[in-house]
Amino acid sequence: MEAKPEEKAEFEEAEIEYVSYGGEHHLPLIMNLVDQELSEPYSIFTYRYFVYLWPQLSFLAFHKGKCVGTVVCKMGEHRNTFRGYIAMLVVIKPYRGRGIATELVTRSIRMMMESGCEEVTLEAEVTNKGALALYGRLGFIRAKRLFHYYLNGVDAFRLKLLFPPPRQVL
Amino acid sequence: MADKPVYEEASIDGQPSKLASIPASDTTVWADASPLLQAACAGLRDGELIHGDNFNLFAAMSALEIMDPKMDSGIVCTYYSIDEAIENGAAPIPISLDSTIDVCRTIDIMDHLLACEAAWHKGHSLAQTVFSCIYLLRLDRTAPHALLHSYCRIIRATCKAVVSVVSDARTHEEEDLFTLTYGLPLNGDGDDKCLSILNAVEETISRQLRACKATSSKRRLPEDLEPLQSNPNLEEGFCKALLCRLRFRKHFFHVLSCMKRPQGRGLESARKHIASCLTELESILKSADFLRSCFDESCEGDIDDKTTASGFEPIGFDAMLNSRLSAPTPPRAIKILSWKKAVEYFVKLLHDLDVICSYSLDPHLESLLRFVVQFQKSQPDLVARSHLQLLLVQDGKLYGRDPFFAVINKAAALPEATKNHDIQKNESFLQLGMLVMNLLKILCTNAAWQRRKLGKFLQDWRVIYVQLELAFRNEYGEVSSSSNDENTCMKIFQHILLWVEEQTFWIAFRFLILGFELELYSTGEYCMVYWYLYAVLIKLAEKTHLMMAVSHDTAKRKGKKKKDSPKDLARESRIPPAVLFLQCYICLAEGLTMYLSRCLLL
Repeated sequence: MEAKPEEKAEFEEAEIEYVSYGGEHHLPLIMNLVDQELSEPYSIFTYRYFVYLWPQLSFLAFHKGKCVGTVVCKMGEHRNTFRGYIAMLVVIKPYRGRGIATELVTRSIRMMMESGCEEVTLEAEVTNKGALALYGRLGFIRAKRLFHYYLNGVDAFRLKLLFPPPRQVL
Repeated sequence: MADKPVYEEASIDGQPSKLASIPASDTTVWADASPLLQAACAGLRDGELIHGDNFNLFAAMSALEIMDPKMDSGIVCTYYSIDEAIENGAAPIPISLDSTIDVCRTIDIMDHLLACEAAWHKGHSLAQTVFSCIYLLRLDRTAPHALLHSYCRIIRATCKAVVSVVSDARTHEEEDLFTLTYGLPLNGDGDDKCLSILNAVEETISRQLRACKATSSKRRLPEDLEPLQSNPNLEEGFCKALLCRLRFRKHFFHVLSCMKRPQGRGLESARKHIASCLTELESILKSADFLRSCFDESCEGDIDDKTTASGFEPIGFDAMLNSRLSAPTPPRAIKILSWKKAVEYFVKLLHDLDVICSYSLDPHLESLLRFVVQFQKSQPDLVARSHLQLLLVQDGKLYGRDPFFAVINKAAALPEATKNHDIQKNESFLQLGMLVMNLLKILCTNAAWQRRKLGKFLQDWRVIYVQLELAFRNEYGEVSSSSNDENTCMKIFQHILLWVEEQTFWIAFRFLILGFELELYSTGEYCMVYWYLYAVLIKLAEKTHLMMAVSHDTAKRKGKKKKDSPKDLARESRIPPAVLFLQCYICLAEGLTMYLSRCLLL
């Protein structure tokens, strides 16, 4: 049986609407997107943990009213550094490769910077070339390798973006 | 004995009781909480959340949604308990009343167990792999089936031995799933006799093999032996298939026992058993053709994915029965390695163990470090690395034999006589011994963990240098010593300080190099990394050269005070090969730094 070629959605980048997490009505949209993509299940508590405590760090991307992408993050004190953490990033297949993920992540990182974070981290599978390229372009370095981090035995990179220290105002 | 459900009584009323589906036991009584939860649902408005102060990410991610099969490991999948599974015929004994099928299925179980064992070694839980075997979970009931019983016993004893090695090596911070045995029945009475039980079965089958060969050549037999199974055409093939499997287990168990012997005393014997294991694994692989062809029906699907040589699904396995025991991981189905891949895994493991067993237990730390680094290049798995670590560090001594101060003494090119000097009782020297021990342990861990540990470790080596230097200055700072012992102490300090510096730079070099192996550097960072390497290598070469000069002095002093021959003088002025090698690295690093920096500019 021949595989159908990946159907790419047709759209202009300007048609994508980016929205900050607005409340309960956004939660099922986020959960649907992430559940589809991940094999490891998150309980509803996990989602609520992020979006209730840091609603300003989660963003959704809409195209003509349909939710096509989301980023979910947190930030907090970790061993004397105030650091942001990107927990989930999903863009549905037909909309990939057009900079939506980059835009979602950028908005979140900007918010983290404004909130006083010194750095941002996340984990990504060593085989996830797309994610590694995306974050690499944004200036993330591979701080560590985590052996057999995922249950399927795949290693992960701990990616880290260090913000420049704030300029001294004389 | 499982309690029978209560529903027979409740249904007399015509109203099925909600409590009925969960039987009460001696220690638990169930109460229906549905009305309470219903009431609670109405108590929160849309978007509201109640959480405690400790509602952190870990708590959120550990939370389960009950009855979600992806998260709830208590969910009944096929059977509620092992006993229920057995009652429903999931693990019949005998496996089949047809002796041919029984033998075939037994071999399938053996193969699948091998695949499970490999999957466990590779990082999955014991509960979901080897102990997904119902026969293994209730070993005693297999007693009437000699073949299955002996095989299960030796598997159990083997798993216990491997868990013990990995636990002792204590590397399971990095690979913590391995040693969690959570109440699995690993300790069996009489498992110490597993080899003799296995030998008895092996002997029987050997006789059967000789018998069927004799029959085919029409020779007469002294005894009247019962054949293994009913089809005389298949007898020889089955006997051979079984023998190589039994022998592999026997020799593998011997490998583990031999390698456990202290101070490397069993290494030579272990090598012989390793060779036997490899021979038997080859026979096991060859038996696949026979096993696939003995029945007319062929199995569905790709043979390469199968966990048995015959390609048939094994009887008597249920990974979900232990799902509660494999917590905290979510109840996901793991993929057991294919049988072919399992055999490949064991071949590699045996080769890695063979390398360890061939090691000459060199008392020179430098050679040892080179050996370990070289060994790690083949990416050995946890079991092999644990064995190496236990060989190197036992009872707080190198190879269980050489006290670490003596090792350091030799590495620092001090004369043999100083290795027993009292100065080793000094706190700083004791700590230095610990550092060397920890260095060896760290070098046996997986590369990712190793690099992180080495990075943090650099700090410890710097601190010990400062401590030793301070101690040295306090003792001898102002004294222009004259006494012999003071001279010796001073010499010890000087040599060891120099050696500590050399080691520190070596660790820094390893840290940087590992980043390449682990793919941590992006191409844009190479220039910076090579520049750091260049700087570290220069210092390393400097210290190494100094170390060698000092070592040459020691050697000279050991000999009689003869006039320096022209040959000796020439040798002195030549740069030692080790240093030359480092200088090559330095040139490479420098060149690459320059080249890459130009590339960046373009």
